[in-house]
Amino acid sequence: MKKKRSKNFTAGAILTGVMLLFVLVGFFWTPYDPETMDKSVKLAGVSFAHPMGCDNFGRDILSRVLKGSGTTFLVAVGTVAIGTLCGTVLGAFTGYFGGIVDEVFMRINDALFAFPSILLGLVFISLLGSGKYNVIVALGIAFVPSFARIVRGEFIRCKNLDYVRSAKLAGAGDLRIMFVHILPNILTVLSSSVMIGFNNAVLAEAGMSYLGIGVQPPDASLGRMLSEAQTYLFSAPGYALFPGIVLILMVLGFSLLSEGLKE
Amino acid sequence: MKYFAKKLAGLIATLLVVSFLVFLAFAVIPGDPATAMLGTEATPARVEALREELGLNAPLIERYAKWIADFVRGDMGTSYSYHMAVTEMIADKIPVTLALTAISFFLIVVISIPLGITCARYMDGALDHIIVVANQVIMAVPPFFSGILITLVFGLVLHLFTPGGYVSYRTDWARFLGYMFFPALAIALPKIAMSTKLLRTSVLSEMKADYVRTAYSRGNGTRAVLYRHVLKNALIPVVTFLGMALSDMVAGSIIVEQVFNVPGLGRILLTSISNRDYPVVQAIIVCIAFLVILINFLVDLLYKLVDPRITME
Repeated sequence: MKKKRSKNFTAGAILTGVMLLFVLVGFFWTPYDPETMDKSVKLAGVSFAHPMGCDNFGRDILSRVLKGSGTTFLVAVGTVAIGTLCGTVLGAFTGYFGGIVDEVFMRINDALFAFPSILLGLVFISLLGSGKYNVIVALGIAFVPSFARIVRGEFIRCKNLDYVRSAKLAGAGDLRIMFVHILPNILTVLSSSVMIGFNNAVLAEAGMSYLGIGVQPPDASLGRMLSEAQTYLFSAPGYALFPGIVLILMVLGFSLLSEGLKE
Repeated sequence: MKYFAKKLAGLIATLLVVSFLVFLAFAVIPGDPATAMLGTEATPARVEALREELGLNAPLIERYAKWIADFVRGDMGTSYSYHMAVTEMIADKIPVTLALTAISFFLIVVISIPLGITCARYMDGALDHIIVVANQVIMAVPPFFSGILITLVFGLVLHLFTPGGYVSYRTDWARFLGYMFFPALAIALPKIAMSTKLLRTSVLSEMKADYVRTAYSRGNGTRAVLYRHVLKNALIPVVTFLGMALSDMVAGSIIVEQVFNVPGLGRILLTSISNRDYPVVQAIIVCIAFLVILINFLVDLLYKLVDPRITME
Protein backbone atom coordinates (compact mmCIF):
# COMPACT_ATOMS: atom_id res chain seq x y z
CA MET A 1 0.00 0.00 0.00
CA LYS A 2 2.77 2.39 0.99
CA LYS A 3 4.62 2.03 -2.27
CA LYS A 4 1.50 2.79 -4.26
CA ARG A 5 0.92 6.06 -2.43
CA SER A 6 4.35 7.41 -3.20
CA LYS A 7 3.65 6.44 -6.81
CA ASN A 8 0.56 8.66 -6.64
CA PHE A 9 2.68 11.51 -5.35
CA THR A 10 5.31 11.18 -8.07
CA ALA A 11 2.73 10.92 -10.82
CA GLY A 12 0.84 13.89 -9.38
CA ALA A 13 3.97 15.99 -9.03
CA ILE A 14 5.06 15.30 -12.61
CA LEU A 15 1.59 15.95 -14.03
CA THR A 16 1.12 19.12 -12.01
CA GLY A 17 4.57 20.32 -13.04
CA VAL A 18 3.78 19.76 -16.71
CA MET A 19 0.43 21.52 -16.40
CA LEU A 20 1.95 24.46 -14.54
CA LEU A 21 4.51 24.78 -17.31
CA PHE A 22 1.68 24.65 -19.84
CA VAL A 23 -0.20 27.42 -18.05
CA LEU A 24 2.98 29.47 -17.64
CA VAL A 25 3.80 29.20 -21.34
CA GLY A 26 0.24 30.33 -22.11
CA PHE A 27 0.78 33.52 -20.14
CA PHE A 28 3.71 34.60 -22.28
CA TRP A 29 3.46 32.88 -25.61
CA THR A 30 0.80 31.29 -27.82
CA PRO A 31 1.49 29.96 -31.33
CA TYR A 32 -1.18 32.25 -32.78
CA ASP A 33 -3.14 35.16 -31.43
CA PRO A 34 -6.04 33.45 -29.61
CA GLU A 35 -8.53 35.99 -30.94
CA THR A 36 -7.51 36.16 -34.59
CA MET A 37 -10.12 34.62 -36.85
CA ASP A 38 -9.23 32.98 -40.14
CA LYS A 39 -12.10 31.77 -42.30
CA SER A 40 -9.88 29.52 -44.41
CA VAL A 41 -9.19 27.14 -41.49
CA LYS A 42 -12.72 27.10 -39.99
CA LEU A 43 -13.15 23.88 -37.95
CA ALA A 44 -9.89 22.54 -39.39
CA GLY A 45 -8.72 19.23 -37.99
CA VAL A 46 -5.43 18.39 -36.32
CA SER A 47 -2.39 19.38 -38.38
CA PHE A 48 1.23 20.49 -37.91
CA ALA A 49 0.21 24.11 -38.24
CA HIS A 50 -2.66 23.70 -35.75
CA PRO A 51 -1.88 20.79 -33.37
CA MET A 52 -5.38 20.91 -31.85
CA GLY A 53 -7.23 22.15 -34.93
CA CYS A 54 -9.29 25.31 -35.27
CA ASP A 55 -12.66 26.44 -33.95
CA ASN A 56 -15.76 27.67 -35.78
CA PHE A 57 -14.20 31.10 -36.31
CA GLY A 58 -10.91 29.63 -37.47
CA ARG A 59 -9.13 30.51 -34.24
CA ASP A 60 -6.27 28.22 -33.25
CA ILE A 61 -7.54 25.89 -30.51
CA LEU A 62 -4.12 25.27 -28.94
CA SER A 63 -3.64 29.02 -28.46
CA ARG A 64 -7.10 29.32 -26.96
CA VAL A 65 -6.56 26.33 -24.68
CA LEU A 66 -3.28 27.86 -23.50
CA LYS A 67 -4.98 31.17 -22.74
CA GLY A 68 -8.10 29.51 -21.33
CA SER A 69 -6.23 27.27 -18.92
CA GLY A 70 -4.42 30.40 -17.73
CA THR A 71 -7.76 32.04 -16.95
CA THR A 72 -9.07 28.93 -15.25
CA PHE A 73 -5.86 28.67 -13.24
CA LEU A 74 -6.01 32.31 -12.15
CA VAL A 75 -9.64 32.03 -11.10
CA ALA A 76 -8.90 28.86 -9.14
CA VAL A 77 -5.89 30.41 -7.40
CA GLY A 78 -7.87 33.54 -6.54
CA THR A 79 -10.78 31.52 -5.26
CA VAL A 80 -8.63 29.30 -3.09
CA ALA A 81 -6.72 32.33 -1.80
CA ILE A 82 -9.91 34.06 -0.67
CA GLY A 83 -11.38 30.87 0.72
CA THR A 84 -8.23 29.87 2.59
CA LEU A 85 -7.46 33.32 3.96
CA CYS A 86 -10.96 34.16 5.22
CA GLY A 87 -11.62 30.57 6.23
CA THR A 88 -8.40 30.34 8.22
CA VAL A 89 -8.96 33.60 10.07
CA LEU A 90 -12.60 32.78 10.78
CA GLY A 91 -11.88 29.19 11.77
CA ALA A 92 -8.90 30.21 13.92
CA PHE A 93 -10.82 32.80 15.93
CA THR A 94 -13.97 30.74 16.39
CA GLY A 95 -12.06 27.56 17.17
CA TYR A 96 -9.59 29.19 19.52
CA PHE A 97 -11.94 31.38 21.52
CA GLY A 98 -15.17 29.38 21.31
CA GLY A 99 -18.15 30.84 23.12
CA ILE A 100 -21.25 32.48 21.77
CA VAL A 101 -19.61 33.98 18.66
CA ASP A 102 -18.42 30.51 17.76
CA GLU A 103 -21.92 29.11 18.19
CA VAL A 104 -23.49 31.72 15.95
CA PHE A 105 -20.80 31.49 13.29
CA MET A 106 -20.96 27.75 13.21
CA ARG A 107 -24.75 27.75 12.89
CA ILE A 108 -24.48 30.03 9.87
CA ASN A 109 -21.56 28.04 8.58
CA ASP A 110 -23.53 24.80 8.88
CA ALA A 111 -26.39 26.37 7.01
CA LEU A 112 -24.08 27.58 4.24
CA PHE A 113 -22.42 24.20 4.19
CA ALA A 114 -25.77 22.74 3.18
CA PHE A 115 -25.45 24.63 -0.09
CA PRO A 116 -23.34 22.91 -2.71
CA SER A 117 -20.58 25.45 -3.46
CA ILE A 118 -21.57 25.85 -7.10
CA LEU A 119 -25.07 26.83 -6.00
CA LEU A 120 -23.65 29.36 -3.57
CA GLY A 121 -21.48 30.64 -6.40
CA LEU A 122 -24.60 31.00 -8.55
CA VAL A 123 -26.32 33.04 -5.84
CA PHE A 124 -23.39 35.43 -5.66
CA ILE A 125 -23.07 35.63 -9.44
CA SER A 126 -26.74 36.52 -9.70
CA LEU A 127 -26.12 39.29 -7.17
CA LEU A 128 -22.79 40.53 -8.53
CA GLY A 129 -23.11 39.81 -12.24
CA SER A 130 -20.74 37.64 -14.30
CA GLY A 131 -17.12 38.21 -15.34
CA LYS A 132 -13.72 36.89 -14.31
CA TYR A 133 -13.30 38.89 -11.11
CA ASN A 134 -16.85 38.40 -9.94
CA VAL A 135 -16.42 34.65 -10.39
CA ILE A 136 -13.34 34.78 -8.17
CA VAL A 137 -15.22 36.69 -5.47
CA ALA A 138 -18.35 34.54 -5.76
CA LEU A 139 -16.51 31.22 -5.61
CA GLY A 140 -14.09 32.54 -3.00
CA ILE A 141 -16.94 33.39 -0.63
CA ALA A 142 -18.61 30.10 -1.46
CA PHE A 143 -15.45 28.27 -0.40
CA VAL A 144 -15.03 30.02 2.95
CA PRO A 145 -17.36 27.73 4.99
CA SER A 146 -15.53 24.51 4.14
CA PHE A 147 -12.11 25.98 4.99
CA ALA A 148 -13.41 27.63 8.15
CA ARG A 149 -14.82 24.30 9.27
CA ILE A 150 -11.56 22.43 8.76
CA VAL A 151 -9.41 25.10 10.43
CA ARG A 152 -11.82 25.44 13.35
CA GLY A 153 -11.68 21.70 13.97
CA GLU A 154 -7.89 21.72 13.95
CA PHE A 155 -7.71 24.70 16.31
CA ILE A 156 -10.05 23.03 18.77
CA ARG A 157 -7.87 19.93 18.64
CA CYS A 158 -4.65 21.89 19.15
CA LYS A 159 -5.61 24.57 21.63
CA ASN A 160 -5.27 22.34 24.69
CA LEU A 161 -2.10 20.55 23.63
CA ASP A 162 1.01 20.89 25.77
CA TYR A 163 2.99 23.13 23.45
CA VAL A 164 0.16 25.67 23.41
CA ARG A 165 -0.06 25.61 27.20
CA SER A 166 3.64 26.10 27.60
CA ALA A 167 3.56 28.98 25.13
CA LYS A 168 0.78 30.50 27.20
CA LEU A 169 2.78 30.08 30.40
CA ALA A 170 5.74 31.69 28.70
CA GLY A 171 3.51 34.71 28.24
CA ALA A 172 2.72 34.57 24.54
CA GLY A 173 -0.36 36.52 23.44
CA ASP A 174 -3.41 34.89 21.89
CA LEU A 175 -2.65 36.12 18.37
CA ARG A 176 0.93 34.92 18.61
CA ILE A 177 -0.21 31.50 19.80
CA MET A 178 -2.80 31.25 17.06
CA PHE A 179 -0.72 32.23 14.09
CA VAL A 180 2.86 31.51 15.14
CA HIS A 181 2.38 28.35 17.18
CA ILE A 182 -0.78 26.59 16.08
CA LEU A 183 -1.02 27.55 12.41
CA PRO A 184 2.26 25.91 11.30
CA ASN A 185 1.09 22.70 12.92
CA ILE A 186 -2.04 22.44 10.86
CA LEU A 187 -0.39 23.24 7.53
CA THR A 188 -0.37 19.59 6.41
CA VAL A 189 -4.11 19.28 6.84
CA LEU A 190 -4.62 22.69 5.30
CA SER A 191 -2.43 22.04 2.26
CA SER A 192 -4.31 18.87 1.43
CA SER A 193 -7.62 20.74 1.58
CA VAL A 194 -6.15 23.59 -0.45
CA MET A 195 -5.44 21.14 -3.25
CA ILE A 196 -8.89 19.63 -3.10
CA GLY A 197 -10.28 23.16 -2.97
CA PHE A 198 -8.21 24.09 -6.01
CA ASN A 199 -9.72 21.21 -7.96
CA ASN A 200 -13.23 22.12 -6.89
CA ALA A 201 -12.56 25.70 -7.92
CA VAL A 202 -11.31 24.60 -11.36
CA LEU A 203 -14.40 22.46 -11.83
CA ALA A 204 -16.76 25.15 -10.52
CA GLU A 205 -15.24 27.84 -12.76
CA ALA A 206 -15.39 25.55 -15.78
CA GLY A 207 -18.99 24.67 -14.95
CA MET A 208 -20.05 28.27 -14.53
CA SER A 209 -18.29 29.41 -17.67
CA TYR A 210 -19.85 26.50 -19.50
CA LEU A 211 -23.24 27.78 -18.36
CA GLY A 212 -22.33 31.19 -19.72
CA ILE A 213 -22.46 32.97 -16.37
CA GLY A 214 -18.77 32.72 -15.50
CA VAL A 215 -15.83 34.16 -17.39
CA GLN A 216 -17.04 36.32 -20.27
CA PRO A 217 -15.49 36.84 -23.71
CA PRO A 218 -12.98 38.12 -24.75
CA ASP A 219 -11.39 36.13 -21.88
CA ALA A 220 -10.90 32.59 -23.14
CA SER A 221 -12.00 29.90 -20.71
CA LEU A 222 -11.99 26.13 -20.97
CA GLY A 223 -15.61 25.88 -19.84
CA ARG A 224 -16.77 28.45 -22.37
CA MET A 225 -14.88 26.66 -25.17
CA LEU A 226 -16.61 23.43 -24.26
CA SER A 227 -20.03 25.02 -24.46
CA GLU A 228 -19.21 26.57 -27.85
CA ALA A 229 -17.75 23.29 -29.07
CA GLN A 230 -20.88 21.33 -28.28
CA THR A 231 -22.63 22.57 -31.43
CA TYR A 232 -19.82 21.20 -33.59
CA LEU A 233 -19.39 17.98 -31.64
CA PHE A 234 -19.92 15.73 -34.64
CA SER A 235 -18.08 17.71 -37.31
CA ALA A 236 -15.14 18.76 -35.10
CA PRO A 237 -14.87 16.55 -32.02
CA GLY A 238 -11.36 17.85 -31.32
CA TYR A 239 -12.80 21.26 -30.52
CA ALA A 240 -14.45 19.79 -27.41
CA LEU A 241 -11.97 17.02 -26.66
CA PHE A 242 -8.77 19.06 -26.30
CA PRO A 243 -10.04 21.67 -23.82
CA GLY A 244 -11.76 18.87 -21.90
CA ILE A 245 -8.62 16.75 -21.71
CA VAL A 246 -6.53 19.70 -20.53
CA LEU A 247 -9.14 20.37 -17.85
CA ILE A 248 -9.03 16.74 -16.71
CA LEU A 249 -5.22 16.68 -16.61
CA MET A 250 -5.17 19.83 -14.50
CA VAL A 251 -7.58 18.33 -11.96
CA LEU A 252 -5.97 14.90 -12.06
CA GLY A 253 -2.50 16.26 -11.24
CA PHE A 254 -3.65 17.99 -8.09
CA SER A 255 -5.86 15.15 -6.92
CA LEU A 256 -2.98 12.66 -7.25
CA LEU A 257 -0.72 15.08 -5.42
CA SER A 258 -3.14 15.60 -2.54
CA GLU A 259 -3.65 11.86 -2.27
CA GLY A 260 0.10 11.36 -2.15
CA LEU A 261 0.42 14.06 0.50
CA LYS A 262 -2.12 12.41 2.75
CA GLU A 263 0.22 9.36 2.95
CA MET B 1 -37.30 9.11 19.72
CA LYS B 2 -35.32 11.76 21.53
CA TYR B 3 -32.76 11.50 18.76
CA PHE B 4 -35.46 12.09 16.19
CA ALA B 5 -36.88 15.11 18.04
CA LYS B 6 -33.43 16.66 18.37
CA LYS B 7 -32.67 16.09 14.72
CA LEU B 8 -36.04 17.52 13.73
CA ALA B 9 -35.45 20.67 15.77
CA GLY B 10 -32.06 21.03 14.10
CA LEU B 11 -33.68 20.57 10.71
CA ILE B 12 -36.22 23.33 11.29
CA ALA B 13 -33.55 25.69 12.64
CA THR B 14 -31.33 25.09 9.61
CA LEU B 15 -34.23 25.59 7.22
CA LEU B 16 -35.06 28.92 8.85
CA VAL B 17 -31.45 30.12 8.86
CA VAL B 18 -30.91 29.12 5.24
CA SER B 19 -34.10 30.72 3.99
CA PHE B 20 -33.36 33.88 5.97
CA LEU B 21 -29.84 34.12 4.54
CA VAL B 22 -31.16 33.75 1.01
CA PHE B 23 -33.89 36.28 1.71
CA LEU B 24 -31.35 38.69 3.19
CA ALA B 25 -29.00 38.28 0.23
CA PHE B 26 -31.73 39.21 -2.20
CA ALA B 27 -33.06 42.01 0.00
CA VAL B 28 -29.77 43.92 0.24
CA ILE B 29 -28.94 43.96 -3.47
CA PRO B 30 -29.21 47.31 -5.15
CA GLY B 31 -32.18 47.72 -7.45
CA ASP B 32 -35.82 48.07 -6.57
CA PRO B 33 -38.27 45.29 -7.48
CA ALA B 34 -41.09 47.78 -8.00
CA THR B 35 -39.04 49.74 -10.53
CA ALA B 36 -37.96 46.47 -12.14
CA MET B 37 -41.57 45.39 -12.57
CA LEU B 38 -42.89 48.73 -13.86
CA GLY B 39 -39.92 49.72 -15.97
CA THR B 40 -37.90 52.93 -15.73
CA GLU B 41 -40.62 55.11 -17.20
CA ALA B 42 -43.09 54.66 -14.35
CA THR B 43 -43.94 57.70 -12.27
CA PRO B 44 -42.55 57.81 -8.71
CA ALA B 45 -46.12 57.76 -7.35
CA ARG B 46 -46.90 54.57 -9.23
CA VAL B 47 -43.67 52.94 -7.98
CA GLU B 48 -44.46 54.00 -4.43
CA ALA B 49 -47.97 52.54 -4.71
CA LEU B 50 -46.60 49.21 -5.92
CA ARG B 51 -43.96 49.19 -3.17
CA GLU B 52 -46.76 49.60 -0.67
CA GLU B 53 -48.80 46.90 -2.37
CA LEU B 54 -45.88 44.46 -2.44
CA GLY B 55 -45.17 45.23 1.21
CA LEU B 56 -41.65 46.42 0.43
CA ASN B 57 -41.87 49.30 2.90
CA ALA B 58 -42.28 46.99 5.90
CA PRO B 59 -39.26 46.12 8.07
CA LEU B 60 -37.04 43.29 6.87
CA ILE B 61 -38.06 40.79 9.54
CA GLU B 62 -41.74 41.37 8.88
CA ARG B 63 -41.20 40.89 5.16
CA TYR B 64 -39.27 37.70 5.79
CA ALA B 65 -42.03 36.36 8.06
CA LYS B 66 -44.63 37.04 5.41
CA TRP B 67 -42.48 35.60 2.66
CA ILE B 68 -41.68 32.36 4.52
CA ALA B 69 -45.33 31.93 5.56
CA ASP B 70 -46.41 32.35 1.93
CA PHE B 71 -43.64 30.05 0.82
CA VAL B 72 -44.75 27.24 3.11
CA ARG B 73 -48.29 27.68 1.80
CA GLY B 74 -46.96 27.27 -1.73
CA ASP B 75 -47.02 30.91 -2.80
CA MET B 76 -43.50 31.77 -3.93
CA GLY B 77 -44.20 35.19 -5.37
CA THR B 78 -44.50 36.47 -8.91
CA SER B 79 -41.88 36.42 -11.61
CA TYR B 80 -40.71 39.88 -12.74
CA SER B 81 -40.15 38.90 -16.33
CA TYR B 82 -43.02 36.48 -16.98
CA HIS B 83 -45.57 38.05 -14.64
CA MET B 84 -46.77 34.62 -13.55
CA ALA B 85 -46.72 32.79 -10.25
CA VAL B 86 -43.31 31.29 -9.50
CA THR B 87 -44.95 28.18 -8.08
CA GLU B 88 -46.64 27.59 -11.41
CA MET B 89 -43.38 28.08 -13.26
CA ILE B 90 -41.37 25.58 -11.28
CA ALA B 91 -43.99 23.02 -10.25
CA ASP B 92 -43.52 20.75 -13.26
CA LYS B 93 -39.74 21.31 -13.34
CA ILE B 94 -39.10 19.90 -9.88
CA PRO B 95 -40.05 16.30 -10.81
CA VAL B 96 -37.64 16.42 -13.76
CA THR B 97 -34.67 17.40 -11.61
CA LEU B 98 -35.72 14.96 -8.89
CA ALA B 99 -36.01 12.13 -11.40
CA LEU B 100 -32.58 12.95 -12.79
CA THR B 101 -31.06 12.85 -9.31
CA ALA B 102 -32.92 9.67 -8.38
CA ILE B 103 -31.80 7.82 -11.52
CA SER B 104 -28.17 8.82 -10.99
CA PHE B 105 -28.37 7.81 -7.36
CA PHE B 106 -29.75 4.43 -8.41
CA LEU B 107 -26.90 4.02 -10.90
CA ILE B 108 -24.31 4.85 -8.24
CA VAL B 109 -25.68 2.26 -5.83
CA VAL B 110 -26.13 -0.60 -8.30
CA ILE B 111 -22.76 -0.04 -9.97
CA SER B 112 -20.40 1.03 -7.22
CA ILE B 113 -21.33 -1.45 -4.49
CA PRO B 114 -20.71 -4.64 -6.50
CA LEU B 115 -17.66 -3.03 -8.07
CA GLY B 116 -16.19 -2.01 -4.72
CA ILE B 117 -16.70 -5.48 -3.27
CA THR B 118 -15.16 -7.11 -6.32
CA CYS B 119 -12.13 -4.85 -6.10
CA ALA B 120 -11.61 -5.62 -2.44
CA ARG B 121 -12.12 -9.34 -2.93
CA TYR B 122 -9.63 -9.64 -5.74
CA MET B 123 -7.26 -7.05 -4.33
CA ASP B 124 -4.11 -6.49 -6.39
CA GLY B 125 -5.51 -8.59 -9.21
CA ALA B 126 -5.51 -7.26 -12.77
CA LEU B 127 -9.16 -6.17 -12.57
CA ASP B 128 -8.54 -4.35 -9.32
CA HIS B 129 -5.59 -2.46 -10.79
CA ILE B 130 -7.55 -1.44 -13.83
CA ILE B 131 -10.48 -0.21 -11.75
CA VAL B 132 -8.29 1.69 -9.30
CA VAL B 133 -6.55 3.57 -12.10
CA ALA B 134 -9.79 4.16 -14.03
CA ASN B 135 -11.40 5.49 -10.86
CA GLN B 136 -8.63 8.01 -10.35
CA VAL B 137 -9.12 9.35 -13.88
CA ILE B 138 -12.93 9.33 -13.83
CA MET B 139 -12.95 11.31 -10.59
CA ALA B 140 -11.17 14.14 -12.41
CA VAL B 141 -13.73 14.36 -15.23
CA PRO B 142 -16.32 17.09 -14.63
CA PRO B 143 -19.88 15.81 -15.18
CA PHE B 144 -20.61 18.26 -17.98
CA PHE B 145 -17.60 17.02 -19.92
CA SER B 146 -18.57 13.38 -19.45
CA GLY B 147 -22.00 14.54 -20.63
CA ILE B 148 -20.41 15.89 -23.80
CA LEU B 149 -18.47 12.65 -24.28
CA ILE B 150 -21.61 10.58 -23.73
CA THR B 151 -23.46 12.71 -26.28
CA LEU B 152 -20.65 12.18 -28.75
CA VAL B 153 -20.25 8.42 -28.24
CA PHE B 154 -23.75 7.17 -27.42
CA GLY B 155 -25.73 9.85 -29.20
CA LEU B 156 -23.87 10.88 -32.34
CA VAL B 157 -21.80 7.79 -33.08
CA LEU B 158 -23.82 4.86 -31.73
CA HIS B 159 -27.24 6.52 -32.12
CA LEU B 160 -28.56 5.12 -28.83
CA PHE B 161 -30.40 8.37 -28.16
CA THR B 162 -31.11 11.64 -29.92
CA PRO B 163 -29.15 14.49 -28.30
CA GLY B 164 -31.60 17.24 -27.42
CA GLY B 165 -34.57 14.92 -28.00
CA TYR B 166 -35.98 15.19 -24.50
CA VAL B 167 -39.40 13.59 -24.00
CA SER B 168 -41.59 14.88 -21.18
CA TYR B 169 -42.62 12.41 -18.49
CA ARG B 170 -46.17 13.49 -19.15
CA THR B 171 -46.00 12.29 -22.76
CA ASP B 172 -44.21 8.99 -22.40
CA TRP B 173 -42.73 7.60 -19.19
CA ALA B 174 -40.58 4.95 -20.78
CA ARG B 175 -38.99 7.27 -23.33
CA PHE B 176 -38.47 9.89 -20.62
CA LEU B 177 -36.51 7.38 -18.56
CA GLY B 178 -34.65 6.18 -21.64
CA TYR B 179 -33.50 9.72 -22.36
CA MET B 180 -32.74 10.59 -18.73
CA PHE B 181 -30.47 7.57 -18.37
CA PHE B 182 -27.67 9.37 -20.22
CA PRO B 183 -27.57 12.64 -18.27
CA ALA B 184 -27.98 10.59 -15.09
CA LEU B 185 -24.93 8.55 -16.09
CA ALA B 186 -22.92 11.74 -16.61
CA ILE B 187 -23.81 12.93 -13.11
CA ALA B 188 -23.22 9.51 -11.59
CA LEU B 189 -19.81 8.67 -13.11
CA PRO B 190 -17.48 10.58 -10.77
CA LYS B 191 -19.57 9.58 -7.75
CA ILE B 192 -19.46 5.93 -8.82
CA ALA B 193 -15.68 6.19 -8.92
CA MET B 194 -15.49 7.78 -5.47
CA SER B 195 -17.96 5.41 -3.91
CA THR B 196 -16.22 2.35 -5.36
CA LYS B 197 -12.90 3.57 -4.06
CA LEU B 198 -14.35 4.27 -0.63
CA LEU B 199 -16.04 0.89 -0.36
CA ARG B 200 -12.88 -0.91 -1.45
CA THR B 201 -10.79 0.84 1.22
CA SER B 202 -13.50 0.32 3.81
CA VAL B 203 -13.89 -3.41 3.13
CA LEU B 204 -10.12 -3.89 3.16
CA SER B 205 -9.75 -2.18 6.53
CA GLU B 206 -12.69 -4.10 8.01
CA MET B 207 -11.16 -7.37 6.83
CA LYS B 208 -8.33 -6.79 9.30
CA ALA B 209 -10.72 -6.54 12.28
CA ASP B 210 -10.80 -9.14 15.05
CA TYR B 211 -14.37 -10.22 14.39
CA VAL B 212 -13.34 -11.25 10.88
CA ARG B 213 -10.61 -13.52 12.24
CA THR B 214 -13.15 -15.00 14.64
CA ALA B 215 -15.59 -15.59 11.80
CA TYR B 216 -12.91 -17.31 9.77
CA SER B 217 -11.82 -19.45 12.70
CA ARG B 218 -15.36 -20.68 13.09
CA GLY B 219 -15.03 -22.16 9.61
CA ASN B 220 -16.73 -19.51 7.48
CA GLY B 221 -15.59 -19.10 3.89
CA THR B 222 -14.52 -15.74 2.46
CA ARG B 223 -17.88 -15.25 0.79
CA ALA B 224 -19.82 -15.76 4.02
CA VAL B 225 -17.51 -13.52 6.03
CA LEU B 226 -17.69 -10.83 3.41
CA TYR B 227 -21.42 -10.72 2.95
CA ARG B 228 -22.65 -11.68 6.40
CA HIS B 229 -20.19 -9.75 8.54
CA VAL B 230 -17.92 -7.31 6.79
CA LEU B 231 -20.29 -5.64 4.38
CA LYS B 232 -22.63 -4.37 7.07
CA ASN B 233 -19.82 -2.45 8.74
CA ALA B 234 -18.02 -1.46 5.58
CA LEU B 235 -21.12 0.19 4.16
CA ILE B 236 -21.38 2.81 6.92
CA PRO B 237 -18.87 5.31 5.48
CA VAL B 238 -20.39 4.68 2.05
CA VAL B 239 -23.84 5.66 3.33
CA THR B 240 -22.37 8.91 4.68
CA PHE B 241 -20.68 9.57 1.38
CA LEU B 242 -23.83 8.86 -0.61
CA GLY B 243 -25.76 11.31 1.54
CA MET B 244 -23.22 14.03 0.90
CA ALA B 245 -23.06 13.11 -2.77
CA LEU B 246 -26.81 13.52 -3.15
CA SER B 247 -26.72 17.23 -2.43
CA ASP B 248 -23.84 17.63 -4.85
CA MET B 249 -25.83 15.76 -7.46
CA VAL B 250 -28.86 18.02 -7.15
CA ALA B 251 -26.55 20.95 -7.82
CA GLY B 252 -24.63 19.08 -10.51
CA SER B 253 -27.84 18.37 -12.35
CA ILE B 254 -28.20 22.13 -13.00
CA ILE B 255 -25.19 21.97 -15.31
CA VAL B 256 -25.83 18.56 -16.84
CA GLU B 257 -29.40 19.55 -17.68
CA GLN B 258 -27.88 22.18 -19.96
CA VAL B 259 -25.67 19.64 -21.73
CA PHE B 260 -28.62 17.39 -22.54
CA ASN B 261 -31.23 20.10 -22.99
CA VAL B 262 -33.36 18.82 -20.15
CA PRO B 263 -35.95 21.41 -19.04
CA GLY B 264 -35.51 21.02 -15.28
CA LEU B 265 -34.92 23.50 -12.46
CA GLY B 266 -31.44 24.27 -13.79
CA ARG B 267 -32.62 25.75 -17.07
CA ILE B 268 -35.14 28.05 -15.47
CA LEU B 269 -32.63 29.06 -12.78
CA LEU B 270 -30.10 30.12 -15.39
CA THR B 271 -32.60 32.09 -17.46
CA SER B 272 -33.77 33.82 -14.31
CA ILE B 273 -30.22 34.66 -13.27
CA SER B 274 -29.49 36.31 -16.61
CA ASN B 275 -32.85 38.13 -16.52
CA ARG B 276 -32.24 39.22 -12.92
CA ASP B 277 -35.62 37.72 -12.12
CA TYR B 278 -34.96 37.58 -8.37
CA PRO B 279 -38.21 36.06 -7.06
CA VAL B 280 -37.64 33.03 -9.29
CA VAL B 281 -33.95 32.72 -8.41
CA GLN B 282 -34.75 33.08 -4.73
CA ALA B 283 -37.52 30.47 -4.85
CA ILE B 284 -35.43 27.92 -6.75
CA ILE B 285 -32.39 28.39 -4.53
CA VAL B 286 -34.51 27.94 -1.42
CA CYS B 287 -36.24 24.89 -2.95
CA ILE B 288 -32.91 23.26 -3.79
CA ALA B 289 -31.50 24.11 -0.37
CA PHE B 290 -34.58 22.65 1.33
CA LEU B 291 -34.26 19.54 -0.79
CA VAL B 292 -30.60 19.17 0.14
CA ILE B 293 -31.24 19.72 3.84
CA LEU B 294 -34.15 17.30 3.81
CA ILE B 295 -32.00 14.66 2.12
CA ASN B 296 -29.30 15.12 4.73
CA PHE B 297 -31.91 14.76 7.45
CA LEU B 298 -33.20 11.51 5.97
CA VAL B 299 -29.66 10.20 5.58
CA ASP B 300 -29.01 10.93 9.24
CA LEU B 301 -32.09 8.95 10.21
CA LEU B 302 -31.13 6.11 7.89
CA TYR B 303 -27.67 6.18 9.34
CA LYS B 304 -29.09 5.62 12.79
CA LEU B 305 -30.96 2.58 11.48
CA VAL B 306 -27.84 1.15 9.85
CA ASP B 307 -25.70 1.71 12.91
CA PRO B 308 -27.55 1.89 16.25
CA ARG B 309 -24.35 2.94 18.03
CA ILE B 310 -24.63 6.45 16.60
CA THR B 311 -25.91 9.16 18.94
CA MET B 312 -26.26 12.92 18.80
CA GLU B 313 -22.68 13.64 19.81
